[in-house]
Amino acid sequence: MTNSQTLTLSDVPIGTRVRIHRLSARPEVSRRLRELGLCEQAIVSCVLKGHGNIICALDNARIGLDRRLAGTIIVSPFE
Amino acid sequence: MRDSASVTVKQQTIALIGNPNSGKTTVFNALTGLRQKIGNYPGVTVERKEGRVSLHDGRSLLLLDLPGIYSLNATSADERIATEILLGRATYNSRPDLVVCIVDASNLERSLYLVSEVIDQQFPLVLALNMMDIARKDGVHINCHALSKELGIPVVPMTASKGIGIADLRAAIAAPLLISERVREWTLPEPVQRVWKELARMLRQYHGIEEPAAFHEAMDLLTQADSIDKNSHRLAPELRSHLERDRQKLEFLGFDRQTMFVEGRNAWIRSLTTRAATRTPRAGASLSDRIDYVITHRVWGFAVFFALMAIMFQTIFSWAEIPMHLIGDAFDSIGHWVVATMPPGDLRNLIVDGALAGVSAVVMFLPQILFLFLFLGLLEDTGYMARAAFIMDRSMSKVGLHGKSFIPLLSSFACAIPGIMATRTIERSRDRLATMLVAPLISCSARLPVYALLIAATIPATTVFKIFSLQGVTLFFMYFLGLGAAVGMAWVFKKTLLPGGPPVFIMEMPPYRIPSIRSVALQIWERAWIFLKRAGTIILGASIILWFLATYPRLPEGTPSDRLQYSFAGRAGRAIEPFIAPLGFDWKIGIGLMSSLLQREMFVSTLGTIYNVENSKDADRVSLTQHMQDDVDPTTGRRIFTPLTGICLMIYYVLAMQCLSTVAVMRRETNGWKWPLFQVAYMTGLAYGATFIVHRMGTVLGFGG
Repeated sequence: MTNSQTLTLSDVPIGTRVRIHRLSARPEVSRRLRELGLCEQAIVSCVLKGHGNIICALDNARIGLDRRLAGTIIVSPFE
Repeated sequence: MRDSASVTVKQQTIALIGNPNSGKTTVFNALTGLRQKIGNYPGVTVERKEGRVSLHDGRSLLLLDLPGIYSLNATSADERIATEILLGRATYNSRPDLVVCIVDASNLERSLYLVSEVIDQQFPLVLALNMMDIARKDGVHINCHALSKELGIPVVPMTASKGIGIADLRAAIAAPLLISERVREWTLPEPVQRVWKELARMLRQYHGIEEPAAFHEAMDLLTQADSIDKNSHRLAPELRSHLERDRQKLEFLGFDRQTMFVEGRNAWIRSLTTRAATRTPRAGASLSDRIDYVITHRVWGFAVFFALMAIMFQTIFSWAEIPMHLIGDAFDSIGHWVVATMPPGDLRNLIVDGALAGVSAVVMFLPQILFLFLFLGLLEDTGYMARAAFIMDRSMSKVGLHGKSFIPLLSSFACAIPGIMATRTIERSRDRLATMLVAPLISCSARLPVYALLIAATIPATTVFKIFSLQGVTLFFMYFLGLGAAVGMAWVFKKTLLPGGPPVFIMEMPPYRIPSIRSVALQIWERAWIFLKRAGTIILGASIILWFLATYPRLPEGTPSDRLQYSFAGRAGRAIEPFIAPLGFDWKIGIGLMSSLLQREMFVSTLGTIYNVENSKDADRVSLTQHMQDDVDPTTGRRIFTPLTGICLMIYYVLAMQCLSTVAVMRRETNGWKWPLFQVAYMTGLAYGATFIVHRMGTVLGFGG
């Protein structure tokens, strides 16, 4: 499990579902993410990786994030 | 709890809230129909959108549409407005009597965050579970009865886009108002709970804040990193020191102040949704995702974007021509009819050369403006706008802004005022300010009549590269110049006045939708009405005043041109001529520039009026374009409106700040005169400088002729 501790949302291959483990961005940014539903325990997947940013899926919503930010969202594999 | 009997006496207000993209506007339109009112400013969408709902029992209630929000923790200015109205903090609004919360059923878990916050505020609340069809297709099953029982509020399942459930929602609104008794079901660790309660009690004691709002304030004070410093001036000293101790205590006990409330709420929501909803996860990418593979692709995405923009500007110029001619002909025949029926004299001249000429010159451009709004409305309603922000984020971050700044800039193509208001979704105030400062550089719809007139009068109607008309290309270039200047100036401001690293990009991508014809038609109708109202009031009034200024004092002898020069308007134009002569502009253009300060399209009506005053003896009425092409400098015999003059004037209009409404909105949004005045100064300087250089270079290269 040591490996999964450092896995972030930006590393997740497209289509794989993961569980959010921890948010390590600045507090006000993390708060924003939580309000949008990207909180601890939430299950998300990466839909596509674009030009320096990604779109992730959370239930039926699609949220665009820049890669740097996705790199601060620590996830662990689900499924 | 207030009893329902007493609330029915006064005028009732219902607030409509919900996450962005939850279908709030569709519900609002369905409930109010055409009986809605937008905006206090001419020609703009203001945050305050209200309408009337009639209920089956004959009552008619006021419905307030609030900006889409994710929570009551105001991060951006947009959310602050919604929060302030809900908490009754805003001065222009009392607390609403009923809140209708629109929830996207396919995103139930996330939406319940806001619902939970509103429940805490002890409002009579109705939950509208919208987009049930999408949820069902998505494998989400919601037990509305169970959810209603768990939350203690009425829950109405609906699919507003198909009109399903609207009647039920009306009935729920009409029912006696009940406040959920299940206030704050979610739990907090004991020490946090105690500290919170005590702080709320003190807020009530020292500041007289009522109970539900006091809890919200207390939560704000406990969680926000900077609220002590920001709000210290308004907190009682006892409270301030108490708060400081509380924060230290919680941190010592190992609580993360920023997250403890959010976590408590989310834990409750998770347990609630497992009881009231089931979800069978669907495999594979949805249609929306598959479209996104192309639309947000690093190559195809940009290709699609530029293709859409090219189509937009090409159609604005070519499709709009037919209705424009019809409007022009209609005004001509009215003019002929007035000339034929009225005896000659000042009154007839006033009507024909002042009022009609001024108003028709502007109303002519209604079709083009409506096409522009049609395109922007379609981009927004299909969900494309968010994708444009997504693909532009990388380019925008190079100038220190993020993708979200792109939407205000795109709206500024319609008008800088909604553009400036759209910056409210930008979280960081420096990024927001930088975006507001450059938004008026984007060519708004008021500039379109000016460009169109100048292009028609000065740019030859030839084709380049066989397919594009030179006139269309010129128009495209002017729009592009404005966008380029905006991006360039944003970079300069972020480097100098408003330093700060690139902001983080977080933005929801709504699913692609087929836009509702009704909603787009409604938007266009609103625009048309606002535009015509402005033409019928401000422009009509200003045209009449201008006619007087261009006619009196009268010179008994001399050519029409001499008489115009002798008039008040002519003298004013003469007075500023030395300042604008280096740009290649004469005194008649000067009159137009001065009246443009009221609003930009006044340039067109001004020229319409002054050329008609000058030529009112003509038996045949010729078009304004023709007048402009025939106008020659009496001393040199050269044409006034050469292609170079046209280009220079257009560049000046692209870059200059000539809109009092924008200045007023900037003052309001920035709370002071400093930034609006700075904006006027830098834009005027930029416009003057750029036009001067182009005019010089053009003259040297021999295009001055």
